[in-house]
Amino acid sequence: MPQQPATPNTFVIERHYPAPVERVFAAFAEPALKRRWFAVGGNHEIVEFASDFQVGGSEKAVYRFNEGTRFSGVLLTNVGSYQDIVTNGRVVTASTMSFGDKRISVSLVTIEFIAVGGGTDLLCTHQGVFFEGSDGPEIRQDGWRKLLEQLGTELASNS
Amino acid sequence: MSQPPVTIDMVFRALGDPTRRVIVMKLSHGPLSVSQLATPLAITLTAVTQHLQVLEQSGLVRTKKIGRVRTCHIETRGFSALEKWIQECRSLWERRLDRLGDLLTELEEHE
Repeated sequence: MPQQPATPNTFVIERHYPAPVERVFAAFAEPALKRRWFAVGGNHEIVEFASDFQVGGSEKAVYRFNEGTRFSGVLLTNVGSYQDIVTNGRVVTASTMSFGDKRISVSLVTIEFIAVGGGTDLLCTHQGVFFEGSDGPEIRQDGWRKLLEQLGTELASNS
Repeated sequence: MSQPPVTIDMVFRALGDPTRRVIVMKLSHGPLSVSQLATPLAITLTAVTQHLQVLEQSGLVRTKKIGRVRTCHIETRGFSALEKWIQECRSLWERRLDRLGDLLTELEEHE
């Protein structure tokens, strides 16, 4: 059976946590908890982190890269907009990443929580999306998965 | 000949235009001349050329002029930049979800 080409803009990560689904969901819903696993990292300090956890609310994270790293002193800003929230079920966020003042990318991240026994299965689906019009605020999730699959197939067959 | 590096925002901006996505789609089936691209799109040669410039800068397409005909091909650099970016995003999320697991354990232990 021929191998499917990777779709480079999308990935899915699955995890299982031995904690009830309400607990895992709370780690996303409560800003003080979310900060501790989402915003914390070894290469940067957190300049700002705030989350208004409701549909239409936004989450803002600003990081400064540490000295000694390639981007020492540079600010990275992530602004997420909550698109869909189902308590203990699902969180969908559209996020913009900016490097300094330059917007780099937009992603759609879907987190799903599934109660399994006394624990929780978590599915994290990440999709890169496009700006239509480089200065506009519009973010449209476009079906470019097909485009890239085709491209991937083409490149694989040419290499 | 050295080329300036392709950055991921260039690739996203290049692919953020529907006409350019159609161009990339067509070229993924095989090389085409500029006029072969323009005709079915019903846009001027100038417009196609402008789109091709953006696509060339982002490493998604390369063009070559032989005699009077400019031929366009798919190029891998932009595609590779995209793959790399996605891998970095994936690693970032893997680390985050690892930390989430640690936090959940820590919270349970402190009950």
